[in-house]
Amino acid sequence: MTTSKGVLTRLKLTRDQVELLGLYVLCVVLALAISALLIEFNGSSWTRAVEAIFDGAFQSKGRWGETLRRMAPLLIVAVGSIVATRAGIVNIGQEGQLLVGTTGAAFVLTKIQPGNPAMLIVGLIVGAIVGAVWAGIAGWLYYWRKIPIVLSTLLLVYLSSQIASYTLTRRQLLLNVVPGEPNRLLLSDVTAPKSRLGIIEIFGNKFPLSVPIALLIAVVAAWVLTRTVWGFRLKMLGMNPRTARRAGVSETRYGMAAILVSGAAAGLAGSMMLAGGESQYKFSSGFASNAGWDGLLVALVARNNPIAAIPVALVFAGLRSASTFLSVAGIEGVLVDVVRALLVVALFIPPAISELRRKRRALANLTERT
Amino acid sequence: MDAGRIHGVLGQNGAGKSTLMKILIGLVTPDSGEIRIGDQLVTITSPQQAADLGIGMVHQHFSLVDALTVWENVILGEGGMRLDRKRARQLVGEIGDQYGLAINPDATVGNLSAGQRQRIEIIKCLRRNPKILIFDEPTSVLTPDESEMLFRVLRQVVQLEGRTVALVSHKLEEVLHATDDVVIMRDGKLVASMQTSGTKPEELARAMVGREVKLRGATPSSAPAVSAAKTGTPGLKIEGLSVSSRKEGVELNGLSLDVYPGEIVGVAGVEGNGQRVLADVLSSLRSFNAGTIEVNGVPVKEGGAGAMAHVGIAVIPEDRHDSGCVLNMSVAENLVLAGLEKVSQRGVVDADTVRENAEKLIAEFGISCQSPDAPMWTLSGGNQQRVVLARELSADPKVLVAAQPTRGLDVGAIEYMGDRLRLAADQGVAVLLISSELEEILHLADRIVVMYRGAIIGEMPNKDVDLERLGMLMGGAQ
Repeated sequence: MTTSKGVLTRLKLTRDQVELLGLYVLCVVLALAISALLIEFNGSSWTRAVEAIFDGAFQSKGRWGETLRRMAPLLIVAVGSIVATRAGIVNIGQEGQLLVGTTGAAFVLTKIQPGNPAMLIVGLIVGAIVGAVWAGIAGWLYYWRKIPIVLSTLLLVYLSSQIASYTLTRRQLLLNVVPGEPNRLLLSDVTAPKSRLGIIEIFGNKFPLSVPIALLIAVVAAWVLTRTVWGFRLKMLGMNPRTARRAGVSETRYGMAAILVSGAAAGLAGSMMLAGGESQYKFSSGFASNAGWDGLLVALVARNNPIAAIPVALVFAGLRSASTFLSVAGIEGVLVDVVRALLVVALFIPPAISELRRKRRALANLTERT
Repeated sequence: MDAGRIHGVLGQNGAGKSTLMKILIGLVTPDSGEIRIGDQLVTITSPQQAADLGIGMVHQHFSLVDALTVWENVILGEGGMRLDRKRARQLVGEIGDQYGLAINPDATVGNLSAGQRQRIEIIKCLRRNPKILIFDEPTSVLTPDESEMLFRVLRQVVQLEGRTVALVSHKLEEVLHATDDVVIMRDGKLVASMQTSGTKPEELARAMVGREVKLRGATPSSAPAVSAAKTGTPGLKIEGLSVSSRKEGVELNGLSLDVYPGEIVGVAGVEGNGQRVLADVLSSLRSFNAGTIEVNGVPVKEGGAGAMAHVGIAVIPEDRHDSGCVLNMSVAENLVLAGLEKVSQRGVVDADTVRENAEKLIAEFGISCQSPDAPMWTLSGGNQQRVVLARELSADPKVLVAAQPTRGLDVGAIEYMGDRLRLAADQGVAVLLISSELEEILHLADRIVVMYRGAIIGEMPNKDVDLERLGMLMGGAQ
């Protein structure tokens, strides 16, 4: 979306750009065609599917508010992931960092001084810190013992859901036992009404304050990454660690900072989901519901550009909020996942091809000169 | 080469030794000429074919898999489906006993020292029962004891089993000590061939360094600068610098070196004698075990990222893509990598200053690029090198380290680089030129030091340079 805008303002296009654009169109059309075929194959109609997506994502009453609400955590997680990637660190454990962070926030928001509105801020900060610490474990393992961050962050996701479940089995932690109900639902108490995020209402569409906050975070991150010395050094570290080291960028310090920021973002995203009314202000072990994974995908599709992540997060959130409408239209939820995955792959192929070509050209350039 | 003898192949860097050996094992195909084994005319097109013809090679850089055990490495690349663990381990034991190359077949290669790794390489090679064995700089990673051991094995292989050994080396002493015949190569040609016994090191050195070394342009005439400067504080003073690691062994061995402001000191020596490590230490990429480094009399705090750059040591690295520039960043960004404080205010980079700085340096150093915003990878090698040079010099360094600064550049770019180094020295920078090209050093340096096995073993002023002695020093003869 941002590229097409750039195209209009700057009419002069290089051949490469035209090719890239063509590739994008081709791939997306192909992905949609395959999706349509799959839907037809499963006995549903693809026109109904399209209708359901549009209805669910923004056409029906109050739906675009819902889409925006779901966009906020995806965007924040994505921004955190982008910061880590800039430093050359592949953190893929956002789902776990989000869950553990939210566990911390849930404790503050349900158990500590329920009447005090300031606890909202404390809860969000605690959520971010716990998320950062959780990611920091992976960072520490890497800088101490060279354990690959991809592996440790991923494995910590599994540990995190165990921790969340555990806190929901102990009354003194998060478990709320409702009198008269025999089954323990493993849910937390609702968060204190005084410490919830404000709800904005425009034309019958409601969404929490987390939406403008997420947009602000994306813009600030874009500015920090491109305009500040810190962002410059992070980029240097990510692209050439040895040159960076010579120029005075400590890999441990900057790399660790980047991974802490990405963990904090995930923790904050989850905490704001809870404070913004996700699953009726109650925390459960399935609370994260793939927001971490989806945020990661948003960052990938946006090619690590925080501003590009905004529209991408919106599209992903739209698909999420349309899923109930799709199941009403008789389309299995699994198919929605398949469609989304196809779209992600389609959006990856063009930049991958252009990157490959660029590398080959650079290589040819190099061998020619030496 | 005659069977049953050890042949030394001696020559400087780039003399063509490695290429010749690569031809023999089929990695490089010759444009013309013929190779005979016995009476048979052969063309060798692949390492596999070379192995079939009975030619085996032990490379200077080991090709072992760190994570595997010794026996696994030995049978690596073998055909067939079944892995015969017992036989492989037995084999390692047998060959080990036979040649005195004892090694534990179950040890993991990653934990072994360089000498032990080389044993594996030799076992790998001997196992195929080759008629001709080629060793490329085999002692560069070995301790003197390990080298001695290696030569005993070679002697045995040659005398008892009638195999032929080619020993590629740049070390005079080693060639004299371990070979029967020696050929000397220079500029891709065989310039001398003699029996080793009765040969003097001087003869070898002269043949190796060769002819009157042609000086490009006039001899640098900064003798007054040197004598004046030498009385003051050295711009760069290195004392007793040692670097060693478990994997590579001792890389720098008590290296001491002074460079005074206004002079160019050339570090001569055959590659692989620690030059790269020295440059890495001065780039704050490696830490050192012992020794001190002082800039203008102030000791450098060792360790941290950018510590050397911070005290005013600028470096033109040997491999600019490795630690000299960031290919995916723009030219303008590459020109400010290390000097971000100058183009930023309160942590925010000022884009205008970055651009002004870039435009100024692009004009001053004649960097040809589409625009300051063009990515670094779009530039030619020579222009990338100019970007590195421009950035390093614009930081007003006290010391400039240039490691192989003209490698891969064309004649014009080489000349430009030389002029710039001279200019920097004239402006009072202490310049340390590390180069394996003797001509470059003779052309540019005021003073020449020779590096051998991680230490400086000799020094002479350029104006009364003694090429014979220089050649001897480069070959390790004191």
